[in-house]
Amino acid sequence: MTMPNFTYIRPKSLKETFQHLSAGNARIHAGGTDLLGCLRDGVFTTEKVVSITRIDELKRVERLKDGSFRIGALTTITELANHPLIKERYPALAQAALEVASPQLRNQGTVGGNLCQKPRCWYYRGEFNCTRKGGARCFAILGENQYHCVLGGRGCYIVHPSDLAPVLMAYGASIEITGAGGTKKIPIDKLLVLPEQAITRETALAPDEVLTAVLLPPMAQGSRSSYRKVRARGSWDFALAGVALALRFYEGKVTSAKIVLSGAAPIPWRCPDSEKIITGQSLNDEIIARAAAAAMREARPMQYNEYKIELFKGLITEELAAYK
Amino acid sequence: MSQQNPPFYSDEQTVPETPDPGSAPKSWSRTSMVGRRQPRVDGYELVSGKAVFPSDISLPGMLYGSVLRSPHPNAIVKNLDTRAAEQMPGVRAILTGKNPEANIVWSYPGDVKSMLFESHCRFEGEAIAAVAAENSYQAGDALRAIKVEFEVLPATVDELKALQAGAPRIHDGGNRTKPPESYQRGEVSRGFTQADVILEHTYRTECEIHTPLERHGCVAKWNRDRLTVWQSTQGVYRIQSQVSSILGMPLSKVRIIGQYMGGGFGSKLQADKETIIAALLAKKTGRPVKLFMSREETFIAAGNRPPTNMRLKAGVKKDGTLTALDFTCVATGGAYPAGGTSGVDWQIKDLYQCPNVRTELSDVYTNACPSRPFRAPGHPQGSWALEQMMDALAEEIGMDPVALRLKNIPAVSQARSGNPPYTSTGLRQCLIEGAKSFGWREARRAIASSDKDRNWRKGVGVASGTWVAGAGGPPSTIIVKLFPDGSVNLNMGASDIGTGTRTVMALVVSEELGVRPDLIDIDNADTATTQYATPSGGSKTVPTESPAVRAAAIHVKQQLLAMAAEELKEKAASLTMKGGTILSLNDPSKKIKVTDVAGLKKQGIIVGIGYRNPNPANRATNPFAAQFCEVEVNIKTGEVRILRFLSANDSGRVMSRLTYDSQVIGGITMGIGFAMMEARILDRNQTGKIVSGNWHDYKIPTAMDVPADIVSVPIDLPDNEANTTGAKGLGEPVTIPTAAVIANAIYNATGIRLASTPVSPVMLRRALAAKAKETSQKDELK
Repeated sequence: MTMPNFTYIRPKSLKETFQHLSAGNARIHAGGTDLLGCLRDGVFTTEKVVSITRIDELKRVERLKDGSFRIGALTTITELANHPLIKERYPALAQAALEVASPQLRNQGTVGGNLCQKPRCWYYRGEFNCTRKGGARCFAILGENQYHCVLGGRGCYIVHPSDLAPVLMAYGASIEITGAGGTKKIPIDKLLVLPEQAITRETALAPDEVLTAVLLPPMAQGSRSSYRKVRARGSWDFALAGVALALRFYEGKVTSAKIVLSGAAPIPWRCPDSEKIITGQSLNDEIIARAAAAAMREARPMQYNEYKIELFKGLITEELAAYK
Repeated sequence: MSQQNPPFYSDEQTVPETPDPGSAPKSWSRTSMVGRRQPRVDGYELVSGKAVFPSDISLPGMLYGSVLRSPHPNAIVKNLDTRAAEQMPGVRAILTGKNPEANIVWSYPGDVKSMLFESHCRFEGEAIAAVAAENSYQAGDALRAIKVEFEVLPATVDELKALQAGAPRIHDGGNRTKPPESYQRGEVSRGFTQADVILEHTYRTECEIHTPLERHGCVAKWNRDRLTVWQSTQGVYRIQSQVSSILGMPLSKVRIIGQYMGGGFGSKLQADKETIIAALLAKKTGRPVKLFMSREETFIAAGNRPPTNMRLKAGVKKDGTLTALDFTCVATGGAYPAGGTSGVDWQIKDLYQCPNVRTELSDVYTNACPSRPFRAPGHPQGSWALEQMMDALAEEIGMDPVALRLKNIPAVSQARSGNPPYTSTGLRQCLIEGAKSFGWREARRAIASSDKDRNWRKGVGVASGTWVAGAGGPPSTIIVKLFPDGSVNLNMGASDIGTGTRTVMALVVSEELGVRPDLIDIDNADTATTQYATPSGGSKTVPTESPAVRAAAIHVKQQLLAMAAEELKEKAASLTMKGGTILSLNDPSKKIKVTDVAGLKKQGIIVGIGYRNPNPANRATNPFAAQFCEVEVNIKTGEVRILRFLSANDSGRVMSRLTYDSQVIGGITMGIGFAMMEARILDRNQTGKIVSGNWHDYKIPTAMDVPADIVSVPIDLPDNEANTTGAKGLGEPVTIPTAAVIANAIYNATGIRLASTPVSPVMLRRALAAKAKETSQKDELK
C-alpha cells in the first residue's frame, strides 16, 4: 500500500515542537526508519509528522563531570557503535548497537527512536485488529507465536524489539524526557511498560513529550559487560533471544550482577533471581546452570515458542561461562 | 578507418573452420573465447544504472495503476461500491468485473477457470478491482476508498487438513487437483525383502517465495490498435502470445519489450493478470499505464515454491546397492491447479540406480496463492528427502556417504520410457573431483576426532543432484549482422534474466567470427525487432540459444568467405579467418581484410540466420551436480554458521567461466535461504492470512549468511552429442542439492536429522531439546 496523506513539520526548537505535539494526533519523526514503515503499513495514521531532526542539541554525546555520559536522542546507532569512549567504557552498548538492523538503518536510525520503536509482532504490523491496536483479540495466543514472548505477556504477547534497551537497563541508565513543563529524569525501567500497565502503548511518554537523552552512570571498577543476540539471519533481524550482562567482580567473585533478556518479554526482562544466585559467588558450571534455570522459572510458553526456554537457558549458560 | 582491423578483431585469434553450407559444424576441439573469464559485456550498463528495466520506464502522460485484492483467503464479493473512489482527485479509471471489457476468463491448467476480477476470492491477494490515477499515492487512496462487502467463508490453508473429511471445499470437485499421480518400476516390496537395511522418514519443506529484486509488473501503451507492453519477464514471446489470445488481437499488433529484467526465478514466465489489467486501464484512459505490484503484493499474488510433505522408505544392501525407494508426497500449488507436486519425485526416480521405485504424488487445493515454477520446480524438495535418506543409509551400513552415491550411479535414465542413455553424465566426476577439492576425507576424519565438549561443533555434508531438463532444444531463430566496418550485431529473442546470457552469446559470436566480445552489440527480448524464442527458464537458455547463435555466425562466415573467394579467385573451402583477415590455406599471398571485402561494402551488411536443430533421438541430456559444505553448530543455541561450500557441476562445456561461477554462488545462496530461513507463514489456526508477507518477516540470506569461501569446480565435459556447443543447463542444478547438503552437515555436527526446513535456531533448538529428552528417556530405561 502507498503512504496515506499527512502534514510534515520540521521545527527548529523543542519549544516549537511541543506546540505542534500538544495540538494532538501528531507523531515525532527522528530517523524515520520505523515511523515511515508503520505509516505505510497502516499500523497507525497521523495528521501531522513533527520532525525533530533540526534540533541540534539532541545530537551530542557528552561526558559529564561526574564521569557519566549523556547521549542525545538523535545520536545515530552508527555514531553510538563507533564512539571511542562508549566502546571503551560501555562495550556491551557498542556491541548491541552493531547488532541493530543493517548498516543503512544504523546510519539513519537514532538512539531515541530505537527505544521508542513499535514492536515487530506480525499481527500488530499486519492487517489484524489486535489488542495493541485497540481491538478485542491478541492473535498470537492461538496463532503463529513462534517469535512471541514467554514472559510478561498479558492480553498481548509482543517482545520488545530493541537491542539497546536491555543493555541500557543492565547499565542502570536513565532517560531524560522533556515536555512543555520542563525536563525530568526517569530510570529506563520506568520508560518501557508492560501490556498489563498499558496495552496500546510501549512507553510512559505522554503524546506531547520528547525523549531527549539517555544518561549512562559512570562505570565502577571491576565492571564487565557484554551483549549477545541469537537471530535467524546475520543482518537486519531482531533477537530471537538475547542477553545483556553487566557484572562487577572483586577478587574473582561477582559483587553485583544485572542480567537482562531481549526477545523474551514485552519489555527488556530483568532476571533478579538469577542475579541473586550468582552474586557473591565465583562462577562455576553449577552456579551458572542454576542461574540459567532461574531466569526461565516463570516462563509460560505458547504453542510454537516453547523452544525459547531452552534457548535462553543455553544462551545464559554460554554467556556467563565466558566470565568464568 | 576500415583499414584498422585490430580495434574490432583479436589479432591472433584463429576462428574455427567454416563448414560447407548445409553441413553441420564440427564441435569445437579448442576454443579461444568460449569458456574464458569474460567480464559481462553489459556490465557497464548494469552497474552504472544506464540499463533500462521495465520498472524504469516513464512515459509522458503516464498513469499509475494499482490492484485491489482480497484480504481474505476465502470470501465472496457481495457488493463493490466504487462511487467514492471515482470522485477522488487524480483518479482516471476504475475497472471491475462489471466493466464488459474486463469480463475476461482467466484459465489455469486442467481447464479450471476463474475471472480476471473474480467474485469468489479463493486466496488472499485475488484481484477484485483496479484503478488508474495520476500518481501512485492517489491510486492507493482510491483503492482504500472502494467499499467491498465480503461474505467471509472458512478457509483451508493447510494441505494436510484440506484432505481430511469435512474440510471446507475449495472447488466444487473437492480438494484434490487431480487423482494421486503414481509411478512404478520393478516391485518395491520385493526390493525391500532384498535389503539388509530399511529406513523410513518423513520430511517437510516450507513454501518459498521468489522475491526477485525487480517486482512483477509492466507499462502498457496503446497507439490506435497497437499495444506495446514493457514487461519484466523471462520471455517476451510467451507474453505476446498470451496477451494476444486473451485480448483477441493479432500477434503483429502486440509488442512486448523486456530487454533488461531484474530476476524472475520462474515467477515471470507467464503474463500476470496485471499485464491485462494495465492494458485495459491504458485503453480506457487513452494514456500509458504503469502497473507494478508492491513488494507485499508479490508475496501473495506472484507465485511460490509449493510446500511439501514427504515420506521416503528406502532399502539398501550392506555393499551399498540400493534395492527399493518408496516415496509419497502431499503438496499444494494453492487455490488453482499450479503444479503443486511437479518434479518432486524426479531425484528419487532418476538420480541413482535402483530397480524398484514407487512414487505417489497428491496435489491438493488450499486457500493460498497459486504456485509458479520456481528454480528447479520440485527438485530441492525431493532432494531434501532423498539426500538426507542416502546419508542415513550410508551411516547405517557403515559406508562413506560419497562412496554410497558412487556405488549407485546409473548409466541410463531409468525414469524415462525406453531407458535412454544420457548423452553425457559427469555425476561420478562431480563426486570424485568435488570430494578431492573439498578435502572430504580429511575433513571427516578431523571432525570425528574433534573436541566434543565445545558448544560450537563442526560437521561436513555432501549431496548430489540432477535436473530433469537442461538440454534445451528448438525452436530458436537468431540473426547475426556483420557491418562493413567489421562490427557485429547479435539479434535474439531470448531474455537475459540476470544470468549473463548476453555475455555467453557474445563469446560464441566472437569465437566464430573473431570480433571482440565488447564490440558485439546485442538486441534482445523485443517481439517487434528480435526473433522468436522460448522463455528463459528451465536452465535451457544457453543450450537452446548458443547452437543457434553459432549457426547464425557460421552463416555470416559462409557468405563472407563466398564473397572473399570471388575476390581472391580462390575456393571458399580453402579460405580461413584470422584476426579479421581472410586468407587462403593454399597460397599465403592471397589474403584480404574483412573490412576490405568489396561484396560486403557493396551490400552494406551480411545477415546470418541460425536455427536450433533438434536434439538427438532416444537420448537423455541432463546436468548433474555434487555439493559439499562445512558448518559449525552451537548446541546450546541452535545457531548455524556455514563455513564453506563447494559445488562440482557437470553442465557440459563451460561457456563462460565468470558467469558460470556466479550461477554457482547464486544457486548456493538461494539454497541457503531455502534451507535455513525462507518460509511463507500463514496464520493457519485462525484467519489463513499471510504473516510473513514482507522482506523483513520473510527472510532471505544477506551477505552475512553466505560464506565467503564458495568454490566452483566445473567438470568441463563438452556434450558434443547433445548440441553443437556442447553446453547443458546450469542455473537450476546449482540449487537442487544445497539444502540437503546443509542438513547432512548439521547431522554430522550434532547427530540430529532435520525433518523440516527452515533450519533456523527455532527448528534446531526444538530438535536439540527433543534429542535431549530421547537420550534421558533411554538413560532411564537403562
